[in-house]
Amino acid sequence: MSDISHLVQFLFSGITVGSVYALIAVSLVIVYKVSQLICFAQGEFFVFGALTMTTLVSKGVPVPLAFFLSIIIAMVLGALIQQVLIRPMKNTSVGALIVMTIAISLALRGLALLIWGRESHVLPPFSRGEPIQILGAALQLQILWIVGITAVVLLLIWFFFEKTPAGIAMRACAENPYGASLMGINTQRTTLFAWAWGSGIGALAGMAVAPMLFTQYTSGIMPMVKGFIAMSIGGLGSIVGSVIAGLLLGLVESYTIGLISSKFSDTIVFALLMAVLVFRPNGLFSRS
Amino acid sequence: MNTLKRYWWLILLAAIAVYPVIGKPSPYRSGLLIFAGIYIILAVGLDLLMGYTGQISVGHAAFFAVGAYTSGILTAKYGFSPSAAMGVGVVFSATLAFLTGRPVLALKEYYLAMATLAFNEIVVTLIIGFEGLTGGASGLRDIPPFTIFGFSLLNHLHYYYFVWTVVVLVIASALAVVRSPFGRALIAIHSDEQAARSFGVNCAKYKTRAYMLAAVYASIAGSLFAHYMGFIAPDDFGILTSINLLVMLFLGGIGTIFGPALGALFLKLLPEITYQFQDYELLINGIILIVVLVFFPRGLFGIFTALRNKIVPRMGK
Amino acid sequence: MKKLVFSLFVLMIFVALAAAGPAWSKEPIKIGGIFSLTGYLSWLGEYKKKAAELKVEMINQAGGVNGQQLVLISYDDNSSPEQASKVAQRLISKDQVVAMAGTASVPLSGAVASMANRYKIPTIINSGYAVDTSKDPYLFNTSHKTDFAVITAYKVFQKKGIKKLALLMPIGPLGEIGGTAARKYAAEYGVTIVGEEKFDVKAADVTAQLAKIRNMNPQAIFSFVTGEPAALIGRNMDQLSFKVPLLVSHGNANPGFLKLVSNVRTQMLVPSGKVMKPEALPGSDPTKKVIVEFNKKHIAKYKEPANYFSAELADAIDLIAEGLRSSGNTDPVKLRDAIENIKNFVAMQGVYTFTPKDHHGTRPDDMILLTVKAGKWEVPK
Repeated sequence: MSDISHLVQFLFSGITVGSVYALIAVSLVIVYKVSQLICFAQGEFFVFGALTMTTLVSKGVPVPLAFFLSIIIAMVLGALIQQVLIRPMKNTSVGALIVMTIAISLALRGLALLIWGRESHVLPPFSRGEPIQILGAALQLQILWIVGITAVVLLLIWFFFEKTPAGIAMRACAENPYGASLMGINTQRTTLFAWAWGSGIGALAGMAVAPMLFTQYTSGIMPMVKGFIAMSIGGLGSIVGSVIAGLLLGLVESYTIGLISSKFSDTIVFALLMAVLVFRPNGLFSRS
Repeated sequence: MNTLKRYWWLILLAAIAVYPVIGKPSPYRSGLLIFAGIYIILAVGLDLLMGYTGQISVGHAAFFAVGAYTSGILTAKYGFSPSAAMGVGVVFSATLAFLTGRPVLALKEYYLAMATLAFNEIVVTLIIGFEGLTGGASGLRDIPPFTIFGFSLLNHLHYYYFVWTVVVLVIASALAVVRSPFGRALIAIHSDEQAARSFGVNCAKYKTRAYMLAAVYASIAGSLFAHYMGFIAPDDFGILTSINLLVMLFLGGIGTIFGPALGALFLKLLPEITYQFQDYELLINGIILIVVLVFFPRGLFGIFTALRNKIVPRMGK
Repeated sequence: MKKLVFSLFVLMIFVALAAAGPAWSKEPIKIGGIFSLTGYLSWLGEYKKKAAELKVEMINQAGGVNGQQLVLISYDDNSSPEQASKVAQRLISKDQVVAMAGTASVPLSGAVASMANRYKIPTIINSGYAVDTSKDPYLFNTSHKTDFAVITAYKVFQKKGIKKLALLMPIGPLGEIGGTAARKYAAEYGVTIVGEEKFDVKAADVTAQLAKIRNMNPQAIFSFVTGEPAALIGRNMDQLSFKVPLLVSHGNANPGFLKLVSNVRTQMLVPSGKVMKPEALPGSDPTKKVIVEFNKKHIAKYKEPANYFSAELADAIDLIAEGLRSSGNTDPVKLRDAIENIKNFVAMQGVYTFTPKDHHGTRPDDMILLTVKAGKWEVPK
């Protein structure tokens, strides 16, 4: 096998995980921009999305329907949590709110344990077929789904934030909540939507990648941490930045494992992260 | 009432001293409070950094690990005395904090949090990677019990009193720091770094010192942990532990020294009640935490200040 | 008058209780169970707990031990060594158990070992932890030694002409143990280790490592890993059309694994205890009868057959009971000695013979190599 096929294989594996990191990072950014909150429960939406879809599909629900149903359920869950637990605590410190999201993630994980048990669940790939061979490397079809879904989501987000009144209102809220409310924008509703979006996209990430992995109630923690990392590399408020950073993170991981060392790949990746943070304190792509 | 206000700490000390010997001394009951005490040391140190200096660390378990593994390796493999090993651990932690502190503490909030998280992960992956030295992911075993001047603290009662003496010293020293000029500088940095700088406070130096102090406390806690467990593994020093520490701080009441101590006690003792719920334990723990945070957004310590204000009304408040 | 009636009533109750029979007259013997019911190892904790509970039930139904009933007190270790240590202390000093069983991983076993040795409570662990009797005299292990799994596999490799083996080891205790064992027996069975790659068990993808391994031209890959990662490697190998067999750890001999690899085409080789395929055992095999009987009861109670983890715990409880029987009393120190003196005890994982140097008690030929075909366990041809 030639070296090129290796490099291509590393590329595919990097893009696969990178897209997932990108999606999670985007969901985190949306929530952050509008509520100034880092939501630690994001990993649990990832898991709920994947497991809900797995259950629906295993009961015979057609894949596209299961897909959209799961997203909606996750969005409702996110909205509920925001309304019932986050909004009433508006006047507490940011730190306490973040710890609240940690407590929520614990409760959600406990709930997932009760609903789906301890075993790992398998979601069949969205379409059948053999992996495609490109330059000697194998590309699983599900990867195309992951990349495709990510692209569509990003397009929708761009369209929403740039072209729709609701989206522009959300951006206004993020930049200047007081000014926005003076303009008659319902900041409460906007925050609600932001959380729903965030949980929906987080769930989407979980569903898209579930066929490549196995999902169980603790599966959400690591993807969420990687999402945090991508968000910090990309710059906190930047959606585009998070996407690029997520993909970059996936690629760096993959190429470090492949070309340098599989034993110390995590050490190297985290050391690189620290270096990026120290030398580019506001992320690689932020505007300041 | 005035005597109560002035000597409340004596009551606390008495409670600590008497706890293990009420009824039949049991390694289990002592053990619970030994673990709780170790985490109190961790939490109090972190509070100096987060509550008073306002610097977020989501990777504090890294220094916990450094203390634990330095003590563990030096005593289990090289026959060092536990006190000497603890000393080496403290020096090592302080040095690491100094070297990483300068660049990292220049970051703000979220980015600082991520940098500390990254540092935590680096420490853990290095521990796993250098398995010849640390035992790797399988863990480091045969760590001897702590000895003072040749007297072994294997007995659970002895170790309990030793650990809690350290806890009391840690809390007392933390309170002293907070009330000192150094502490006031930290608080000034927390409320407005720009203003502090304009007053001539060398912010970078003070932040790094606070970071080093927190690291030293964590290292001591780590050494105590290693000698008590007799065995340590990387699983207990990862991000989840660091996140738990954060929860302890906010649950108890950040920036109050006693708050985080209370938070540590609460979080460590909670499973002793909820374990009976078996499969529901995880969900119930989460719900309890949510409820506490909803009703006490300033932390559990708020109860005490509120109670105290009721019993001993403040003048002109 | 009211007081008299009341006193008579109370007297009646006492008489009824006293007459209730021998089941009430002796204290039950307490055994501690430490199982991972939450955390990353939780998927296998339930198998162990269920098997332990069933075995205790079976022993009690047969009359208990020395006329006393056994009681299993089990706690969750949260897959954390600190919690395992705490829970062990709870069992030892609060519940006052005479012996303990459980712990699913090397770090968990290590944490509990520390307590078991400190407080002198015999403990039967079931993980890759290798018991060194000079350091852990109170520990026994009903999990087959990693060496046995490797030897079992290598014997089959020899027969099939597999000489070049690549290692894809997880970062972690299993990887360390597996790699060492693989190298130790390589020469003896004509196997050459052509190279080693490592991977993070939480990784979503190992195609990068597999691509590098492919360059080494191995005839088989050995990854001493359990659960999802093992299935993931198989899946990634399918993706790369990497058509060599994949040897994994004996921790995969459970029904959950069959589900995980249900659409994996790579040939999975899983070392196992005989519990997974009693039909393939000759009638002369003494363990067959014990396995079949336990399996029947397991299916009746839990609607699924016993697996490797069930056998580990069933044997642990059996051994503790046997030790209690032969020592005649419940003193933990004497119990430990009694267990150490057990010879030729027929159980599910094998016929146990302990010595002061060997606290595993089983032998390499107590294991078999299995493969997965059409969702079922088969003996490879």
